[in-house]
Amino acid sequence: MPDLESLMCGYQQADEAAAQLFIERVSPLLLRYFLVQPNNRRFADDLLQDTWMRIHKARHTWRRGEPVLPWIFAIARYTSLDSWRKSRRLESREIQVEELPERSASTSSSRAPDLDAMLAVLPASQREVILLLKVSGLSIEEVARATASTAGSVRQKAHRAYRTLRALLRGKNVEA
Amino acid sequence: MKPDPIDDFLAKAAAPPPDAATVRAGVERAQSAVLGDLRPVRPLGSPVRSALLFLAAFAAIAVLAGLILGPHGFHVLSALQRVLIFSALCVAAAVAALACTRAMRPASGASLSFPSLLLAAVGFPVLFAFLFAGYNTLHFVHEGIPCLVAGLCVSIPTCLLLLPLLRRGFVLDRRQAALACGTLAGLAGLAMLEIHCPNLRAIHVMVWHVAVVLVSAVLAWAIARLAW
Repeated sequence: MPDLESLMCGYQQADEAAAQLFIERVSPLLLRYFLVQPNNRRFADDLLQDTWMRIHKARHTWRRGEPVLPWIFAIARYTSLDSWRKSRRLESREIQVEELPERSASTSSSRAPDLDAMLAVLPASQREVILLLKVSGLSIEEVARATASTAGSVRQKAHRAYRTLRALLRGKNVEA
Repeated sequence: MKPDPIDDFLAKAAAPPPDAATVRAGVERAQSAVLGDLRPVRPLGSPVRSALLFLAAFAAIAVLAGLILGPHGFHVLSALQRVLIFSALCVAAAVAALACTRAMRPASGASLSFPSLLLAAVGFPVLFAFLFAGYNTLHFVHEGIPCLVAGLCVSIPTCLLLLPLLRRGFVLDRRQAALACGTLAGLAGLAMLEIHCPNLRAIHVMVWHVAVVLVSAVLAWAIARLAW
């Protein structure tokens, strides 16, 4: 099975089969990354498409020999960030209604509340590091590349997030 | 990283992958959009090459503007002052050029935009304090404003000229890119002033010449922030 790097090279050379396979291999990773973030869950599919459009426009900036996943997740991260900024701008212009509309069933799932509630406690930068490390399965060096940060800073954020999550989990276990 | 009970929790909590139908639909939509516009692309050159391009643009504009306005400042500097000032300018511009290069490539490493501005904003006043004397504030504003204006008249067009170089890549964080671009353009304005301005009073050079870098960087960042 060809690795992501050779598929990316094929994609740059306009090899249709390679591009097709590349999209098939990367899309589930991206979708999972968006679905696990409560703010993005509703728009996961749109974010996926938007990310692919950006990847397509940016494909010449990837260089052979560089890791592919941090490059992909750096683009996905900014797609999500831009979408959040846009929704924040729209929210500020929204008109208040008398009654809140019913929430769609697809916005929540049985496993979501615990993880969501625990992640919500973390600052955005720590939450992002934890998601990339634990959900997307990137290494510390890859997360550092994806977040335009340093490995030391990623390690520190992960350590702080772990400390907070551990304390929360211990509290939950005691309550149970 | 050591195994931790929280790893287990995160693995379980985030374990269910997106359902196959959702993935299939997403993949098909992405494939139809991407494959319809599939053309070969030439990968961007090495980061060093891109940084050298930025650096060449900086040097060409600074020297050209300095020569057009008259190299009066260059003539009144001593050999030591010339070596130290222009070496420092080259180092600061190299860091800013590297920051621009990183800003135009996704996942290219830690952002250098703010460190490059900090280096210029702190390093140059210290260097000027060491090289020049004179803290008399007589005509301080009267003599300073023309230098600030002249510096900005060089840095703003430089910033606009650097944009096409930046657009050769793919900018993710426009604010960081604008900050890096503004810093490099501001350094071009500062370099022009070091070639042109014959006023060697420490307080004048430390405040008004360095202000060109700060104003240029902050202006570029503010425009990017307002626009996006």
